[in-house]
Amino acid sequence: MTHDSRLTTYSPPRDGFITHIGRRSLETFRAVADVPTWSPLLVGQMRRLGVDSVPIALFIAVFTGIVLSLLSSYIFTGAVPLYFVGALVGKTVMMELGPVLTGMALAGRVGASIAAELGTMKVTEQVDALETLAYDRNAYLVVPRVLAATLMFPVVTAFAMAVGVTSGWITAVNLLDLSTPEFFKGLRMFYQFKDIWFGLVKSASFGAAVALMGCLQGLDSKSGAQGVGQSTTRAVVLGCEAILVLDAFWALVLL
Amino acid sequence: MRRTNEFAVGLAVLLALALVVAGALWLSETDVNQKQVNAQARFRTVGGLGVGAPVTLRGVRVGRVEAIRLVADEWVETELSIDKNVELPAKPAVISASASLFGEWSATIVPYDEPPSDPNLRAALAESDRAGGAAWPGATLPDIGQLTAQASRIAGDVGVVTQRISQAFDSTALKNLQKSVQDLAAISGRLVTFANAQTTRIDRVSRNVTTTSDAFAGVARTFQGAVARLDTATKDDQLKDILNNGRASSADLRQAAADLRSVMTAARENQVSLIRVIQQADTLMSRIQSGNGTLGMLATDSTLYRETTATVIQFRQLLTDIQANPKKYLKISVF
Repeated sequence: MTHDSRLTTYSPPRDGFITHIGRRSLETFRAVADVPTWSPLLVGQMRRLGVDSVPIALFIAVFTGIVLSLLSSYIFTGAVPLYFVGALVGKTVMMELGPVLTGMALAGRVGASIAAELGTMKVTEQVDALETLAYDRNAYLVVPRVLAATLMFPVVTAFAMAVGVTSGWITAVNLLDLSTPEFFKGLRMFYQFKDIWFGLVKSASFGAAVALMGCLQGLDSKSGAQGVGQSTTRAVVLGCEAILVLDAFWALVLL
Repeated sequence: MRRTNEFAVGLAVLLALALVVAGALWLSETDVNQKQVNAQARFRTVGGLGVGAPVTLRGVRVGRVEAIRLVADEWVETELSIDKNVELPAKPAVISASASLFGEWSATIVPYDEPPSDPNLRAALAESDRAGGAAWPGATLPDIGQLTAQASRIAGDVGVVTQRISQAFDSTALKNLQKSVQDLAAISGRLVTFANAQTTRIDRVSRNVTTTSDAFAGVARTFQGAVARLDTATKDDQLKDILNNGRASSADLRQAAADLRSVMTAARENQVSLIRVIQQADTLMSRIQSGNGTLGMLATDSTLYRETTATVIQFRQLLTDIQANPKKYLKISVF
């Protein structure tokens, strides 16, 4: 790929939203081939987008587990054996709330961060400077972020799953009339390996979507600081919407 | 900075990977240390039994269902992992059954030589056993849904029977039946009354017969005594003495009657005198009552009574005055 061809890949969003998203996604996909450009940046982005997001994900997971445990005991008491609390907490945290709530939290944190960073670069003409230096902006700016988010969202989600189930278990044992063996009996009763990988696959797609939306909105920023702010807001909103759409998509495809 | 990033990312990825792998193994109860042995069981159908369902022996969980697959001749073969140290029956069989109302199923190991009482289950186990091979014979109990469907069919049959009974006993038939029952009750009541009356009469007749019988017995006994006495009297010439005594008594009675006649004559004379005395007394009493004569005036005139009363009062006053002033009336003087 020559520098001239890379320079012609960018075009402002003159067409419809879906077409624009599709074109940018294809450009990003093509840029993945430019490994020397994005690979040195990947680990740094993984650290920034993934590892640094672990605390907020764990914070959300702790309270998700607590609420799920209490809520399921409220629902089941008197009608269904209480050990089903374990099943509900496990299934819900691993398959739905773990990936989705983590994705939502990271859509705010990561998507906004990416959109603000790239938007600032765009309005301060740093992106133009990169292209002047013959860097493919997709390979240099978009691919490492999207790949980092795609790879690290499942990692963060895995931590969130473990913490969510653990907090649910601790809540059940301490606040409900439920013993540890009973909770684990419910947890194991309906467990399938699919429960875990389903959540991890979803979270990877969420990561890709959130990072892609942040990059696209950031690179499409206009009109100075106000435009950057609008791009950031749109990145977060579109990231959350993408998560919900993908969640329904995976539920239809994989369940 | 770059090295720090690599370390942090590597640590996070490794930790997440370890968590996922360990969690999956723990949740699926994978036998990492090979503490379990595998066995196969053969069923016609496994019902709701699924991979991961518990395997129990006498109610204790000893393993889990690892796999379920369709095999030849329309059999279903299940792969069971069972704890090594569990002592299994000499010839085990497996029964797949619903463990609760909430969709849980379990595979229960039972001795094949002590089959359950359900004939269908026994037949299923025997059929599975006849298929041969290393797989344990297996049978499946109907699940809650099937039992509910069966109960629903039974309920439907009961409904049909009820409907037929309802048709047979329509409102007219029911009224007739009620009337018949009421008539029967009335007849029964009358029969009871009649039986009670007849019983009372029979009791009275029976008592009368008893009394009469007793009277006859008394008469018979009296007559027997009289006959005996007559017989005795005839034997010892007492009858002649009795007749002589009777003749003497008759003479005495005639004498007494003559005496009584003379007494009655004297009494009749006294009666005339008595009547006269009574008439005079009556006359006297009439005069007294009418206030004639001294006695009559005493009886009817209150003047004497008042005079007497006034005198007594005056006498009392005199006595009182004497007691109060004795010197007024008594004057005792020695000199």
